[in-house]
Amino acid sequence: MIFVTVGMHYQGFERLIKKMDEIAEKIEEKVIMQIGCTKYQPENAEFFDFVDADEKILDLFKQARVIVSHAGAGTLLVALSFGKPIIVVPRLKKFGEHVDDQQLELADVLSEAGKVIAVYDVEKLEEAFKNVDKLAFVNVEKDKKLISFLKECLRRMEK
Amino acid sequence: MKVCLVCSHGGHLTEMLYLMEAFEEHDVFFITYDSLRTRSLEYKKYLLKNIGTNPIKMLISFFKMVKIFLKEKPKIVISTGSEIAIPAFYVAKLLRIKTIFIESWCRVKSPSGTGKIVYHVSDLFLVQWPQLLNRYGKKAKYVGAVI
Repeated sequence: MIFVTVGMHYQGFERLIKKMDEIAEKIEEKVIMQIGCTKYQPENAEFFDFVDADEKILDLFKQARVIVSHAGAGTLLVALSFGKPIIVVPRLKKFGEHVDDQQLELADVLSEAGKVIAVYDVEKLEEAFKNVDKLAFVNVEKDKKLISFLKECLRRMEK
Repeated sequence: MKVCLVCSHGGHLTEMLYLMEAFEEHDVFFITYDSLRTRSLEYKKYLLKNIGTNPIKMLISFFKMVKIFLKEKPKIVISTGSEIAIPAFYVAKLLRIKTIFIESWCRVKSPSGTGKIVYHVSDLFLVQWPQLLNRYGKKAKYVGAVI
């Protein structure tokens, strides 16, 4: 199953959802999409806008063979812990998908580190699926340094 | 110690939830935006209307923060963003409550609008990528990231 997710942002992500709907028509594999505030409704895939509990999204990440995601921090943070291939399409301001082009930063840094495949032009999305098996994805572990630092700060403040 | 966690309802909340272990010895409550997701959040919480870029909603949220802080009397306010941190941090400053701002993991090399505004009033200001340090002043620290 291919799970497509565009997070909680208040603007839609028509470009990605439309293209994934086109791809879904051509392939055998099941496609499930979380479309958020996107107005376009897929015809060839199961879809929903939001969930009421994070567990439902986690469950879809677990079931998925490939994850296709916007470059939002929350989504990628969770998606990376599953050790599955992730194709990232950053939302861009010029298409009315976000208020700025800040999603490029995370897409760039994670694709340079080989943790995700970044696709900037949706016309190249189909091709990206051919490359997912070539890359070895490992699940990214939680960094404990920030947590211990915060813990220590709070302890010091309490005294 | 009473700790107030302030964040919007999407990725910023996910980042905060990744850090919960840091607060396990404390009495925490959230101030976040009202959404399907936050209604089922299993912590004590205050749900506000999404401020976005609306100045009137921003103004209203300043008064809401005053009310919440006077009632709850937190010792510290911690935020991972986004703009909901602005009224929280300025009101905290006014009421002499300590603050920690953690810039979002998605801010790799450019500061967030919220970060730039709350930098001046934060007691501790953390970024999650070392390359972002030189875009802020001396107060900014890098000690690690959510992952």
